[in-house]
Amino acid sequence: MSIDWITVIAQIANFLVLVWLLKRFLYRPILDGIDAREAEITRRMAEAGEAEKKAQAAEATFRQQQKQLLSDQDAVVKQALRESENQRDSLLAEAHAKLEQEQTDWHKHLERERQKFTAQLQRAGEETLLELTRKALRDLADESLEEAIVRHVSARLRPIASELADAAGDRKEAVATTRDTLPEAAQALLQTDVKSLLPGINLRFETAPQQAPGLVLRVGGARLPGRSTATPKNSTRC
Amino acid sequence: MQLTPDDVVVFTLAGWEVNATIVNTWIVMALLVGISMLITRNLRPDVPPNRWRTSLEVIVKLIQGQIEEVTRNSARHVMYFAGTLFLFIALSNLMLVIPGFSPPTSSLSTTAALALSVLAAVPVFGIASGGVGHYLKTFIEPSVIMLPFNIIGEFSKGISLAIRLYGNVMSGAVIAAILLTVAPFFFPVVMDMLGLLTGIIQAYIFAILATVYISSATAEPDSSAVQTQSSPPESKRSTHQEEKS
Repeated sequence: MSIDWITVIAQIANFLVLVWLLKRFLYRPILDGIDAREAEITRRMAEAGEAEKKAQAAEATFRQQQKQLLSDQDAVVKQALRESENQRDSLLAEAHAKLEQEQTDWHKHLERERQKFTAQLQRAGEETLLELTRKALRDLADESLEEAIVRHVSARLRPIASELADAAGDRKEAVATTRDTLPEAAQALLQTDVKSLLPGINLRFETAPQQAPGLVLRVGGARLPGRSTATPKNSTRC
Repeated sequence: MQLTPDDVVVFTLAGWEVNATIVNTWIVMALLVGISMLITRNLRPDVPPNRWRTSLEVIVKLIQGQIEEVTRNSARHVMYFAGTLFLFIALSNLMLVIPGFSPPTSSLSTTAALALSVLAAVPVFGIASGGVGHYLKTFIEPSVIMLPFNIIGEFSKGISLAIRLYGNVMSGAVIAAILLTVAPFFFPVVMDMLGLLTGIIQAYIFAILATVYISSATAEPDSSAVQTQSSPPESKRSTHQEEKS
């Protein structure tokens, strides 16, 4: 057991070289690699944390938007219901108004039809009555209705002849208005009576289809038969 | 019987006889450096480590953890020194099983060289850490009376390191050689297996003691007294636990 000092020196040198070589090729690469990998893991963990935070924020935003959308949807549905109810009420009111208007128009139409029918019925009745009267006169008295009317007017003219002359004044014409043209005989008879009762006054004959059967005689301001405002003595209607 | 490989001259280079100790040391160094270079040549942080790199990382982190546990700091230069001691001694001792290979650690010259390296590293790390005054002050603690004992103790550390490692490895090799001649089939295998375990333990003890010596020299003045009284790691751990409690 002895120590070879040359070997000792050589082994010290070998050991120092080995320390340097292992530091260069083992410890530093391994420890730096571990540090770099830890830094990489830390960075990735931080990135994962950031991504998780972003995901949570996005999820919160999405949930908020979803909640807002549901709220908006409820509001829209309620608004649509309100509008549909308002529109329904409006349409119902319009339909009711239209129906009432149509009922009113229908009632007016019915009233007009009724009045028209009544007028036609009255007219037909009048015509029938007139024809019956004319036929009765012709059959019973062998006389026409117009001649009877003329004689009736003449009879009513005699008591008021002086009043009619006063009413005629300066006018020299009297007008006899009938619905139908008077027969020649009736015109001649009335012409004769007027000349005898009111000398100097010419009689002219006119027809008025709207007028009721009968005869209206106008002398100046007098009218026979008279209006409701005229003097009863000065008007005669037959 | 050959007790040391220093006597085996492998070749002569320019008049200098290169013995088996140096050559075997170069072989161990080549294995350590070559394996490290092969594994760490293409390291990238974004590439997952393979099984070889993981194995190296486990070994390096284990060494770093042991050193940090003793020194209570993560100084890399201590790890470079003590880790290299451990790896070199451990691989040398493991290569004891190779027939015809004499571990460099079975040479007293090698163990003396390693012990001298530790003896030199202690003041170097101590002065680099706290300055010359702080390092020299450790020799007069706890009192000036202890100065000669501390000096003797400092040198005895180197002697004990060298003799302990040499004795264990050399005795293992010698016992294996003797048993090989007496009972060549069973006992040498058992002794070699026991030698593997012993070699690893001796490498661990050598590296840990070196770390303890360095940490004693680099420790703060308040804690240095406690650390110099408790050189084994177990007592140092108990001191740490007491301080924590």
